[in-house]
Amino acid sequence: MSLHVIWDNAEWLLEGFWVTVQLTASAVAIGLIVALILALLTLSTHRFYRWPAEAITFFFRGTPLLVQLFLVYHGSGQFRHELDAIGLWSYFREAYFCAVFVLALNTAAYSSEIFSGAIKAVDKHQIEAGRVAGMTDFILYRRIILPQALRIAWTGYSNEIIFIMQATSLVSIITVLDLTGVAGRIISKTFAIYEVYIAVALLYLVITYTMVFIFSRLEKRLNRHKA
Amino acid sequence: MSETVLHLDNIQKRFGDIDVLKGICLSANKGDVISILGSSGSGKSTLLRCINFLETPDVGTVEFAGEEVVCEGNATGHSKRNKKIINNMRTQLGMVFQGFNLWSHMTVLENVMEGPIHVLKKPKEDVKQAALAYLEKVGLASKAGQYPGQLSGGQKQRVAIARALAMEPKVLLFDEPTSALDPELVSEVLQVMQSLATEGRTMLVVTHEMNFARTVSNRVVFLHDGLIEEDASPDDFFENPKSLRVKDFISHKK
Repeated sequence: MSLHVIWDNAEWLLEGFWVTVQLTASAVAIGLIVALILALLTLSTHRFYRWPAEAITFFFRGTPLLVQLFLVYHGSGQFRHELDAIGLWSYFREAYFCAVFVLALNTAAYSSEIFSGAIKAVDKHQIEAGRVAGMTDFILYRRIILPQALRIAWTGYSNEIIFIMQATSLVSIITVLDLTGVAGRIISKTFAIYEVYIAVALLYLVITYTMVFIFSRLEKRLNRHKA
Repeated sequence: MSETVLHLDNIQKRFGDIDVLKGICLSANKGDVISILGSSGSGKSTLLRCINFLETPDVGTVEFAGEEVVCEGNATGHSKRNKKIINNMRTQLGMVFQGFNLWSHMTVLENVMEGPIHVLKKPKEDVKQAALAYLEKVGLASKAGQYPGQLSGGQKQRVAIARALAMEPKVLLFDEPTSALDPELVSEVLQVMQSLATEGRTMLVVTHEMNFARTVSNRVVFLHDGLIEEDASPDDFFENPKSLRVKDFISHKK
């Protein structure tokens, strides 16, 4: 065992660690907003709204994340002129942007299923109680339906966040220097495979269980009414 | 003295092949406490739900609070104008459900404050004082900080009544408010309702509580097969019913 490899490269590993944390945070934040929109569109009674949402979900749930990353990162080059014309090429040229783009839409597709299921599961009688108080659809969603759906979706959604955090390790393949990407670089210099991957695995564990801790705290807060 | 506050004209409602309401006409005057009786399936709850458009009548007119909604065909209630009128009507029509339907993620106090703050847009401090006063009225001020899941059925229903009162409605609708309660909890809810009646509030009560209908209400409406079979004072209804069906109904309830 040559633990000194870890100490020598600690700063670099830490940088990768922060890239992983940032990737996760951006993907989850953007994904959450997109997921809510997709969920509401999926629940719409108009086919016109439902169809695009269902198409996005169909694609991002139906294909491997890795293939999606390749498609967007390598594939966008083929549409360079078109992307240039609408001013997006400078974004799609960046591996980091492609990574956030794919991760966000991927998690949005799965989360929207969790959310639309949760929204459908909200007690119809409590919704009626809101209606008879004269609530508009907007107030009803904001005050009654979404807060209750959040509680129903919580377990499934926190699993999804943990899953997408771990899935960020795939972005190293499209050259993003996240925790896994940095690990590959260090190993190619030092050949200390075990040491580096054990350190990396431990760092992922730290992220996962920090999230688990936060989720269970929030869950307790959300479920005060069940105490 | 009798000022009409609610008027229903020719309300018809059909679910699939079943004609639940076949043309109901009913007026409520200010201060009326109307008990709506009838065997199950006679359309009592549907009638109540048509008043605040939880069910949209297929045909008929609801006149309330200076507004009227005329229903003719399927699209009624979905037009923007009607939606607005209906929401406005609902803010002045309190409803108490059989299953309480309290918002489980909010405390008792938050349940009572929700409508006045977020629908009527009243200032929070005033609403809080009023909400506590309504909880006091139903005897539950001490439970203000608790969640619905921590209350008994009777307590939940009294909170639901306070929640309806907090909107300061012109008319209160009760849909079998004691039917889901354990027998020993029924009286606490009926007492609250009786005190509301004494205050002169206008109430429409779908109920199976014959004693309430007889002693608290000033009118009894009997529904049968989607139509009003009898509309009478409690004395006439229970002592001198005109219709054979009402006679039959009363003899079964005794």
